[in-house]
Amino acid sequence: MATNGSAPKLVNVMIDGRPAAVGAGTNVVDAAHAAGVEIPIFCHHPKLVPVGMCRMCLVEVGTPGVDPATKAPILDDEGAPVIKYFPKLMAGCTTVVSEGMHVRTGTPAVAEAREAVLEFLLTSHPLDCPVCDKGGECPLQNLTMRYGPGRSRFVWGEKFHYPKPVPVGPLIALDRERCVLCARCIRFEDEIADDQVLGFENRGRGMEIVSFSDPPLDSVFSGNTTDVCPVGALTTADFRFESRVWELESRPAVCPHCAVGCNIGYDTRHGRVLRVMPREHDAVNEIWLCDKGRFGHGFTTAEGRLTHPLVRDISGALVATTWDDALTRVAEALKRTVAEGGPAAVGGVAGATLTNEDAYAFGRFLRAVVGTNNVDHRPKVIADDSVHRFGAGADTIVHALGAGHAIVVVGLDAEAEAPVLFLSLNKARRQGAALITLSTAPQKLDRHASHLRAVPGSEATLLAALVRAALEAEYEPVDGASVPSGALPNAAVPNAAVPSAAARVLADRLADHGPAAVHGVHPVDPDAVAQAGKALASAGGVLWIYGRSAVDAGLVPLMAAYAAATGQHGRAGTGLVAVGRHANAQGVADMGLTPDRLPGHARVDDAAARERLADVWPSLPSSEPGLDAGAMLAGGVQALYVLGTDPVGDDPALDLRANGVRTLIVQDLYLTPTAAQADIVLPAQSAAERDGTFTSLLRRVQRTYAAVDPVGHARADWKVLRDLAARYGDAESFAAPSDVFDEIARAVPAYAGLSYAALGPAIRTAPTDIFLPFAPLTEARSVSYIGTRYENRHGIGAAWLTPAEATYAAGDTAAHEAVAADGGEDAFAGYAVAADDALHAAAGDDLVLIPTAILFDAGRLVASSTVLHPLVPRPFVAFSPFDALQRGLVEGGRVRVTGAGGTFEAEVVVQDGVTPGTALAPESLGIAVRAAVGGERAGRVRVEVVAAGPIERGASPTPAPRPSSSPSTTATVTPGQI
Amino acid sequence: MLDDLMHLVRGMGVTFGTMFKKPVTIAYPEVKRPVSDRFRGRHELKRYDNGLERCIGCSLCSAACPADAILVVPAENRDEERYSPGERYAAVYEINMLRCIFCGFCEEACPVDAIVLEHEYELAAYDRREMLYTKSMLLVPTAAGVGGTPQDTRGRDVPFRMGGMDYFKTPLEVKRALPAGPSSVGAGE
Repeated sequence: MATNGSAPKLVNVMIDGRPAAVGAGTNVVDAAHAAGVEIPIFCHHPKLVPVGMCRMCLVEVGTPGVDPATKAPILDDEGAPVIKYFPKLMAGCTTVVSEGMHVRTGTPAVAEAREAVLEFLLTSHPLDCPVCDKGGECPLQNLTMRYGPGRSRFVWGEKFHYPKPVPVGPLIALDRERCVLCARCIRFEDEIADDQVLGFENRGRGMEIVSFSDPPLDSVFSGNTTDVCPVGALTTADFRFESRVWELESRPAVCPHCAVGCNIGYDTRHGRVLRVMPREHDAVNEIWLCDKGRFGHGFTTAEGRLTHPLVRDISGALVATTWDDALTRVAEALKRTVAEGGPAAVGGVAGATLTNEDAYAFGRFLRAVVGTNNVDHRPKVIADDSVHRFGAGADTIVHALGAGHAIVVVGLDAEAEAPVLFLSLNKARRQGAALITLSTAPQKLDRHASHLRAVPGSEATLLAALVRAALEAEYEPVDGASVPSGALPNAAVPNAAVPSAAARVLADRLADHGPAAVHGVHPVDPDAVAQAGKALASAGGVLWIYGRSAVDAGLVPLMAAYAAATGQHGRAGTGLVAVGRHANAQGVADMGLTPDRLPGHARVDDAAARERLADVWPSLPSSEPGLDAGAMLAGGVQALYVLGTDPVGDDPALDLRANGVRTLIVQDLYLTPTAAQADIVLPAQSAAERDGTFTSLLRRVQRTYAAVDPVGHARADWKVLRDLAARYGDAESFAAPSDVFDEIARAVPAYAGLSYAALGPAIRTAPTDIFLPFAPLTEARSVSYIGTRYENRHGIGAAWLTPAEATYAAGDTAAHEAVAADGGEDAFAGYAVAADDALHAAAGDDLVLIPTAILFDAGRLVASSTVLHPLVPRPFVAFSPFDALQRGLVEGGRVRVTGAGGTFEAEVVVQDGVTPGTALAPESLGIAVRAAVGGERAGRVRVEVVAAGPIERGASPTPAPRPSSSPSTTATVTPGQI
Repeated sequence: MLDDLMHLVRGMGVTFGTMFKKPVTIAYPEVKRPVSDRFRGRHELKRYDNGLERCIGCSLCSAACPADAILVVPAENRDEERYSPGERYAAVYEINMLRCIFCGFCEEACPVDAIVLEHEYELAAYDRREMLYTKSMLLVPTAAGVGGTPQDTRGRDVPFRMGGMDYFKTPLEVKRALPAGPSSVGAGE
């Protein structure tokens, strides 16, 4: 699938006598790589725009000679074209191939040039390879050994010396002596990350890399600069002098921090994770990784982790016990509760960080063994089956989209919630995709996107206006000619199936919500909405990427209706993508951890699903939906099983005991505030300690492998749940996570056919040729052929097909369209475009507080990292300059914010782009923002100034208190007492 | 017959003749034979004249070792706690003398002439565990009147895999060297 629908033109070149056909526009270095010839490079990088700074790629280039008089090719005696070589060597990275071009890389002139360049690059190199963290995986070392002169005419004593290292940012150390000024780091930040933070200073021998942002190197992708750095100039803080790279043992895994599902490797030594490196995956993270993924590996250490099961002793303190005792107590407590109040008295709430196996085992235990439908997960982003029905095509690769595609990002701060997705979106935008963002808060993606700012509470009206505008534009006659009924103008575009009836119904329903209706409501120009609608209409495919804010605002049915009515789903680059806040948000929903859905997104009363599960499960739960997480936490159940989530930590005022939960079982990594209230605490394994699979936001099921030994006596969740089920007499005895997955494949139709064996080696569900010809995804070959190694030898996983997509893939377009048309009606039935006028900020003195997401939050996974922890900001509220001026708020001052559900104090930040009348407060910074706004997606708050000016910072340089290993509760833990 | 007798006499002649020659053997262990300058015996970790360790913890000895006998765990020097010149030193340095084959590759690989195979060869022990030579055993004493490195005050260190877990407890050095980080309030995040 070429993104623009046409195959790239191929150019034939001859490199060192080897023929190669490469796409037009390829440069000589990449063409040589395709032909299997290495041209050494420092500054060129396949993912960056070539600049030709290092001159390492000098080669002899020739083109077929042309007679100036006749313009005819000059032929030799045998009729072959005579190649005219350029008189001087050409830089391969900036020379684009042309038809018939010949390249020579093995001539004495080229060898001499390479020697000269290397000698020159090493004039002031400190040669401190023995103490350099890059030593052993350093392109400069390798290329010097291979192509260098082996001697230098420059005197050792005359080398430039700098103090070393200097911190160029909080996470990155710069050694200026080693830098070869290739500008890869600068170009990465500028081009890929869109962070203008690095630059050159001075000139000549004094030239050096500096960060000109404040705070320095203000980018959440800074770790990637150390990967692209071809020398040891940029190194990471967490790995500094930890080990030599050849001593590391790399274990493949999937990043547990967000829903993107970046492929990573845990580099371990002596059973300890020393660093995290990206593994190449051309459909997910290319070769990138965000700083949270790279540096947030503190949770793999034993510090503060639970090591033993804990139970209450006679004095009420938590004491360590054996697994056997703890599990017996859990089973007894649950059985007792069921005996007294029936299965509905038991409930379970899970986090979205669990693997598919753990999540499935949890749902299976509660539904099939205990017999209750009180199963839920939190935070819940995928609450319905919209993605299951109208999801994006399984072969959707966001960063492969380009001209002809439209991407709408709704209610999602991509950089904060899914950073590597931000890189993909940014790349798609650079390749010509129309990018539209719709949200109530500003974000970095808006810079180059058509940004539609909604007022909180009325997001639906703005989205409705966008959808209406898109449908209007699709019906708009082209050049005045009337469009025949049943055909849209862009019907010729392969991606636009045309169930026009459904589209017409939808357009009619939204007739009152056209672009003109946003005037005076939203701070956005109606023309901009109409323009964005036109962009959607003219695009061959529309991809909807939405986050938690969009779900909270109830926007999903509208997006689903558009996708369904226009048939734009289930194919590459079209459909819905839900971005959860946690690593396996999609998988946890697929496994049925919602009160009204069985595994596979089937309703609990769905006869077909119940029949299927009857073969797999020992018994079936009732066909009535259970309680959701909020109801359970509010005391809807007497016995609550909390797995891998911390509701009390998110809302410190939550007292589960007072709410009526009599038995609380918590399974987690740390003694969280929730665990401190528990009767029985079970130690869980961290992501680095367990085998399993995660399902990414693009529904790609990927294997992750255990990298280190479990801390203490921590056990895998599925194992704990299996042993619990055994205490109920359940005969199913999973021996390995693969057994659980095999059962998932039987229970969840979308996962049918998948197995660990199938996920391991490279497989694909749909072919693609969007990659450079030398890097087909089916081969574990590295695109980044210089830099730190990234090869993915452990499989690329597989994305599951939506049912509509599956019928379409089987060639049944009629069925697809029927599903689409029917689905559009169904998804939108009963949906009202609601606007919450109460939230409109214009009235009164109050502001509307919007909870936002932040990347480096105060959560345990970030706080446990020594280097990331200082980057967690103190709790703050961001105001628009207008409101700050009006209310006398000064950056760094302090305010008290009082909402319907609570009050908190925070620091003042004045931020451009915030809608006047609103204030943004990040969640997960230790302040209960959601609680303050009454648990809603936004709420009116009163803001009082506590301290007008900046607070003295000298006293406490640490921004947020690092959670101690035991929270301040009455619980005492005495490990070792078994 | 007489011929056989002559053989016996000739043989005894050699025996008696030897009694008047200088003996080849020595009375080890009372007497020790000097070894060649190039003899490869027990390793020593050398110091500079000012007492700083030469070793920079680069692990090249460990990489060169064909018997996989050397373990190095590096760490970063700080000005207030300095072990070696430059940025890096060996926090853990161990040689398993049971594995060592005394080939001297470590000495050859060393970029700072820190490890040298010296002349000591009496390396027997009653316990295998005693054959794990730790850094405090390998490091030569400082010259009289010269201050040592902070490690000297710690006494004999416990082998790494037997609970010498300093490595697991101390925060990683660089995190202290780098600034605590800007107290940035993440605007826009």
